[in-house]
Amino acid sequence: MALHVPKAPGFAQMLKDGAKHYSGLEEAIFRNIRACKELSQTTRTAYGPNGMNKMVINHLEKLFVTNDAATILRQLEVQHPAAKMIVMASHMQEQEVGDGTNFVLVFAGALLELAEDLLRMGLSVSEVIDGYEKACKKALEILPDCVCSSAKNLHDVTEATSLIRTAVMSKQYGNEDFLANLIAQACVSIFTESGSFNVDNVRVCKILGSGVTASTVLHGMVFKKEAEGDITSVKDAKIVIFSCPFDCMVTETKGTVLINNAKELMDFSKGEEDLMEAQVKAIKEAGANLVVTGGKVADVALHFANKYKLMVVSAHFNLCKCNLFQTAPTPEEMGHCDDVYLTELGDTQVVVFKHEKEDGAISTVVIRGSTDNLMDDIERAVDDGVNTFKVLVKDKRLVPGGGATEIELAEQITSYGASRDGLEQYGIKKFAEAFEALPRSLAENSGVNGKELISKLYSAHHEGNKNMGYDIEAEGPALKDMLESGIVEPYLVKYWGIKLATNAAVTVLRVDQIIMAKAAGGPKAPQQRGHWDKDSWNEEPDHFDTHH
Amino acid sequence: MMHTPVILLKEGTDTSQGIPQLISNINACQVISEAVRTTLGPRGMDKLMVDSRGKATISNDGATILKLLDVVHPAAKTLVDIARSQDAEVGDGTTSVTLLAAEFLKQLKSYVEDGLHPQTIIRAFRTATNLAVSKTKEIAVSVKKDDKQEQRKLLEKCAATALNSKLIAGQKDFFAKMVVDAVMSLDELLPLKMIGIKKVQGGALEDSQLISGVAFKKTFSYAGFEMQPKRYENLKIALLNVELELKAEKDNAEVRVKSVEDYQAIVDAEWNILYDKLEKIYQSGAKVVLSKLPIGDVATQYFADRDLFCAGRVQEEDLKRTMMACGGSIQTSVGAMTEDTLGQCELFEEVQIGGERYNLFKGCPKAKTCTIILRGGAEQFTEETERSLHDAIMIVRRAIKNDSIVAGGGAIEMELSKYLRDYSRTIPGKQQLLIGAYAKALEIIPRQLCDNAGFDATNILNKLRAKHAQGGTWYGVDINNEDITDNFVACVWEPSIVRINALTAASEAACLILSVDETIKNPRGSVDGPPGGGRGRGRAHAH
Repeated sequence: MALHVPKAPGFAQMLKDGAKHYSGLEEAIFRNIRACKELSQTTRTAYGPNGMNKMVINHLEKLFVTNDAATILRQLEVQHPAAKMIVMASHMQEQEVGDGTNFVLVFAGALLELAEDLLRMGLSVSEVIDGYEKACKKALEILPDCVCSSAKNLHDVTEATSLIRTAVMSKQYGNEDFLANLIAQACVSIFTESGSFNVDNVRVCKILGSGVTASTVLHGMVFKKEAEGDITSVKDAKIVIFSCPFDCMVTETKGTVLINNAKELMDFSKGEEDLMEAQVKAIKEAGANLVVTGGKVADVALHFANKYKLMVVSAHFNLCKCNLFQTAPTPEEMGHCDDVYLTELGDTQVVVFKHEKEDGAISTVVIRGSTDNLMDDIERAVDDGVNTFKVLVKDKRLVPGGGATEIELAEQITSYGASRDGLEQYGIKKFAEAFEALPRSLAENSGVNGKELISKLYSAHHEGNKNMGYDIEAEGPALKDMLESGIVEPYLVKYWGIKLATNAAVTVLRVDQIIMAKAAGGPKAPQQRGHWDKDSWNEEPDHFDTHH
Repeated sequence: MMHTPVILLKEGTDTSQGIPQLISNINACQVISEAVRTTLGPRGMDKLMVDSRGKATISNDGATILKLLDVVHPAAKTLVDIARSQDAEVGDGTTSVTLLAAEFLKQLKSYVEDGLHPQTIIRAFRTATNLAVSKTKEIAVSVKKDDKQEQRKLLEKCAATALNSKLIAGQKDFFAKMVVDAVMSLDELLPLKMIGIKKVQGGALEDSQLISGVAFKKTFSYAGFEMQPKRYENLKIALLNVELELKAEKDNAEVRVKSVEDYQAIVDAEWNILYDKLEKIYQSGAKVVLSKLPIGDVATQYFADRDLFCAGRVQEEDLKRTMMACGGSIQTSVGAMTEDTLGQCELFEEVQIGGERYNLFKGCPKAKTCTIILRGGAEQFTEETERSLHDAIMIVRRAIKNDSIVAGGGAIEMELSKYLRDYSRTIPGKQQLLIGAYAKALEIIPRQLCDNAGFDATNILNKLRAKHAQGGTWYGVDINNEDITDNFVACVWEPSIVRINALTAASEAACLILSVDETIKNPRGSVDGPPGGGRGRGRAHAH
């Protein structure tokens, strides 16, 4: 018999062995704040054009080199429950506007850091929260006043380029003009007159080799595939698309062909071939000269396709403005493309579907680069750029970047705070102070003294120069008119950024107790095998162990 | 009051950051470049590598070496990537690109240690690269494409320069000619896979030959094969994707018979199906039958009786190349064997090359393909020869597509170095130092060439600098005389795209490595426990 160990009195008594319980200011709130602070410290150095990249190696040993906060967080596998709240907020930001994820992290981190000071001063949590929420409301009220301009014509490539430039700049500083132009071309070409814009219609194709500046954009699709048959280029193509393999039909039900006599045996294979020929012929006669299939291409089918001069491309996905079907097509169901050809980029064979006229529903950015990591990072920059365009389609207003908006908000909120008489005044003031974290990060990442910059910014804004922001290209803490130098950000990015960051910070502050059950012991849950191993999945259903 | 540290990430996650981290990345890259630096140039040494399965490889191709090294360091991997990218884009210059990237980093190391912000460095490097690339384009000499003879001479020079640094440098003229012939025989798309390279052990390197047509090793054959004729002139070829053997017509077919006669009839029918196919092939007038799928003994003997040659289980690429060379098309059914589906060639023969028997198709009317048969001693030797020829072929293809060339042997690097150094003096600020560092780093190529040849690098470089300052644009290292010479006159030529790509890739890689200030390494995904299980502390997982 084991010796009876008396349990400590209190809350822990009621829980199972091994469960943990933290409560109160010191144990719960400060710990949470510290965790969030640590997280935002990691991403803070990646903020802005001069932000540094992080090398993240995920659990599959894949290497990422990026300064995109969303990607870093996704690969980091943050475990701390409070820090997760902030991560979630930044994910929301990504889904909502696709850019400004790092803004959320840095801002939420700053809010929590400053909240700690207030709490140590003796303010109660609820007063801090009250102050933050009031300040947030006020900030969102002020934000429309900060709007410095708005996009006039999104169909104009030059204008779109200048708008996307800022978003790309923070990811690929140095290549921003080139990339922004590419992205703008891609976006404008698929942005319909009716004003609908789908992010998925800008595709990215990465091909190793050459340099970033060799990247191009084209209307249509690029597949990293070879043409299956002998025909490698088709002008003015009529396309039929099959989601099924280009093969003779195989029934789902297991069937057996019953052969009763010699004649049937003799006719069997001939019959199958004739059928295939008839099908291919039907496709050809319908006017098609290009077949795109979602599955494999059978040898026999390819044989007849060659015979009838059909080009065959096997792709696993396609979006080319036509329907999917399985029998011979009618002319309305066929897609059309001006030029389809096989070409070589680097040493990769690609099939290009190109539209001469600018009416294609799809455009592709072909990214070239010397390493896979670099191309991945550029792909993320392209994503951000495209998302910025999408946001602009929703709301054309723009605010100045480079810390100008933040300082303007900070100044106005400080004066707003001073006008309040309750204890929330402290919270409001700290909220304003938190905005300083962003220009400070920008400056510190460029090796400039943050405090000096912020004092300069304040004085400029006090004199009413709303658009003054940090000049990233200057040597020291210099200021520049952001609107004039074309550094503008979509209004919605800031709007959601502030909202989500405040929400996350407030939620973290609200927690005053953490109770963690003991992680379930026992044998490890069986690895989920069998997704690809078809043989065993029948006998061995997946076990999902719920640990709690 | 407990003061447990806050644990943010999963247990076992490894993070390192700051300038020490950057320096350690740079050092790792240095180590990688050490591995390949001695392979540069005509006097470069080869490396012998033994992989985990005990296979030995001898190579001096940078990309091959780096691939075999199996680098795991995340930053050093970037260098492997750029070597691969150079290989993909231009096919040669893989060692140079690795060396350049490592040298860029080496020159920058002291600036990073002194606390210069990496982004400033990156900006300077991007400017320098753009300048260097436009300068290369400006001084590159373009050769007129109209003059076929002139172009051919150019291509041979380029191929010879590429081969110069390889194992087969001794036979470079022989192979340069062969490579150019091979590439010239392709169509305008210049598809690489239309050049077949076959290796046969034994014989001397000079016994290697180029066949303007197709050649492939005798395939597996059945009884009756030896009775078939082995030589035809002006023949037709049937290219099939049909199994000529007794076999089930469909896998899931079932035969049900009621009487013995019926059974016999079924057996006869199977034979008839086969004979029917063979008859159709025979009737088509083809003399040589090639099939991707097996040709059984019945068929082999049938063809032997009727004075036909057949080969089954031909590799798909060989069959495709035969099609490209001889015309016709690959048939999946024998139902429609018409005249235009058959290929043609002037001569088919089976010949003995070394210990192997080869099927050769010569005098093909469409001849958009060719085959190089390599001879040589050890297996590793022929393999390295193949890699070298691949590089040379790629260079020639690039030279055809972009007809501008620069002089090799360190000449272009010295010229760029001079240009950038002069430029750097005209600008103020930190950029001046950094562009100067870039210019200095470019000198690594001639320096390494000298080192590998056992020359006094400092001496030669001084001479080169002096010469370039006086306007000797194309002066580079003269490997043969331990001196400097005008490499343009000496016909050490390279396509300018090779150098442009090397510069872009190397500086992109250097910038990428510089821009990293933190490495976060997650543990390998062994524990797939539920997320959010707590703070990573005290998790009682029974492993």
